[in-house]
Amino acid sequence: MRYAVALLAAIVLLCLAIARADGDPEPRGAGNPPALPMGGGLPLIVRVGVAFADVAGVDENEGAFDATVDVRLLWRDATLSYPASEVPNGFRELRTEAAQERLAEIWSPDIVLDNLVGEPTQETAGLRLYPDGRVELMRRVSGRFSTPFDVTRFPFDRQWLAVGVASRREPLDRVFLDFRQGELDFSRASSRIDLDGWDVGMVELRRSALAGWYGQDHARLEAALSIERHPSAVIPSIFVPLFASLLIPLLAIWMNKVEDGEYKIEAFELTNVVIGGLFAVIALNFTVNSEYQALARGDNTVVRLFALNYSALAVSLLVNVFLFRFNLARRWLGPYVQDVLFSFIIWAVPLLSFSTAASFLLVAMA
Amino acid sequence: MRFRVHAPAVLVGASVLVAVITAVVSNRLFGGMTSAVEEGQFTLMRAILDDAVRNAQGKALARAEMIAALPSVREVFAARDRERLLADLGELFKIQKERYGVDQCQFHVAPATSFLRLHDPEHHSDDLTPFRPMVVQAQRDKTAHRGFAIARSGPAIFGVVPVLDPAGQFTGTLDVGIDFGPLLDGLKAAYGVELALYIEEKPLRDFAKGVSGEILTEQNRVGKYIRFHSTNAALMKELTLDRDLAAIADGPYTREVFGAPWGVLLMPLQNGAGDNIGIVAAARDFSGSRAATGRAKVWQGLLALFTIAFSTGVTLVVVRGLLLAPLAALTARFAALAKGEDPGPMPDEGLGEELQELAAQYEALRVRAGSSAS
Repeated sequence: MRYAVALLAAIVLLCLAIARADGDPEPRGAGNPPALPMGGGLPLIVRVGVAFADVAGVDENEGAFDATVDVRLLWRDATLSYPASEVPNGFRELRTEAAQERLAEIWSPDIVLDNLVGEPTQETAGLRLYPDGRVELMRRVSGRFSTPFDVTRFPFDRQWLAVGVASRREPLDRVFLDFRQGELDFSRASSRIDLDGWDVGMVELRRSALAGWYGQDHARLEAALSIERHPSAVIPSIFVPLFASLLIPLLAIWMNKVEDGEYKIEAFELTNVVIGGLFAVIALNFTVNSEYQALARGDNTVVRLFALNYSALAVSLLVNVFLFRFNLARRWLGPYVQDVLFSFIIWAVPLLSFSTAASFLLVAMA
Repeated sequence: MRFRVHAPAVLVGASVLVAVITAVVSNRLFGGMTSAVEEGQFTLMRAILDDAVRNAQGKALARAEMIAALPSVREVFAARDRERLLADLGELFKIQKERYGVDQCQFHVAPATSFLRLHDPEHHSDDLTPFRPMVVQAQRDKTAHRGFAIARSGPAIFGVVPVLDPAGQFTGTLDVGIDFGPLLDGLKAAYGVELALYIEEKPLRDFAKGVSGEILTEQNRVGKYIRFHSTNAALMKELTLDRDLAAIADGPYTREVFGAPWGVLLMPLQNGAGDNIGIVAAARDFSGSRAATGRAKVWQGLLALFTIAFSTGVTLVVVRGLLLAPLAALTARFAALAKGEDPGPMPDEGLGEELQELAAQYEALRVRAGSSAS
């Protein structure tokens, strides 16, 4: 009889162990995260809105900006629903430590701001639990975010200060980041943002995917605040010197004159002006590249204007050497052609130089 | 006519004309390509909207067909047992609403009377004839219909199907309505198109009694329409004005708002009776194509200027440098010679073969004049 009871007890224990193994393949221990709520099917839709509470500054050289953003995540976990009569104001609200403690107990999307540089300077969280199981997690994060700057249209450019929100733990087929009207309405820039040298525009939400392991994709959503540069802030410091330096090679042509088929100014003196202009443009180039490092990379209006400056210097040097010094036009075609050619160069080179420079600006404005 | 002035002017004028015509023609060609690209964008927007709406109608109809085919539904609806119908389908509707954007589900009996609204069970037995022509048609034809309508809970995309009793006799109709909001938001997320739904205010106020008062506000009023839903309210407010909605027949248009050009397409919504009930506006940023056009204009202008400057330079060098200036020098010498002066020999430098012959004649005359004088 005792053996029978012991055998029965062993069978019962074995059944319980099997049942436990079947029902909870990953028993929730101290180190296991709470399970993904699958009551509503997969993927679980997490709605994401990002509001820009403040933008402290934009660092184009570093390709970054300092901002405080509110990231609002909204999902449904039916296991967290409770009678509406328990909350007169419609939801339970937890903040800071209380929110963190509750978050440790429930499932929440493992969301990272994937372009946050280093650690956030400040981070707070708030949690709202609605009776119908909706969970609203609000995170306020202050920090530096990296973002690409496209200065092709400088100084008439518009930039996007982007904050990337990515699901790190769960792949796309389990957690999907999305937005609807509520998130679009939430995703705005605070009217208090005052960014020196820039006009603040709208916030744009874009969905994308992040490549993960084993060919899996992870959901990603980007909230980008558009800012438009004030051209007046950079025109005096960059474009006035660039246009002024364009006059140097022209001076080296204008200063000469022809009398009886002979040039009156020594080519040597004018070439010195050109060489001086070359050093001036190199110095300006170095200064601008140091101050605005983003402009030193790739194709943009400033790079084009520097190229035009160097080209104008080269043209001026060629005119000085071949026309003024070696008199090639006179040698090959006679003094009459030299006179006409000089008269033509006097107005054509400045006209084409400044027209090209103006075109670069107009192209940037287009 | 002074050849010195008019000959270069004619040649330079001809060069300028050719350069300008070339620039204008190439600009027109490029502009045509840009217009074609923008037309393509409008076509794409229309196709996206059409496809999304057709899909939504199909989904609404499919859901209605499935519910109407359930034996228990046929039996309970035929028995006109409202409570049991609600008990059987309440959970089903809740799931459909939460997960799949199904906004409305309603049973109707002849001629077009609401029997049960699963989304609003407390309101029933009202006459739907004035504002649900599709239900009237389905009741009359005993066949399925799909389209747009303004229902008590607001505008939606509907599929209406007949419901038969267990014996196979027509006993009423059932509709399923899919909300516009998630549909438009989904299109915005997938394609980046900004969208707004405008519904005529009068039928909205008359029929959609369940619509939130927050929507029926002065801020959302655009002419005779109410902006019912928008993916970007600030932008769409600037892009679709009262006069735009009134002139929907004029077709797509472009407008610059917030520093960017936008292409706007308006698509009318008609109910089952063919009456206009609203408009869906779709907008896309045309900055790319417009900027390309602007850049092309600038480059073409600059290229034309270079062409004109180069041809002017060549004309001046050839006409004045090689012909007129040496000719003028020779003429001056001839004139001095005619006055009895001795202007000296004409240098050969810079003279073409033909002018060298003339210079030789001058030199012969000068020598003869010198010898006769001595």
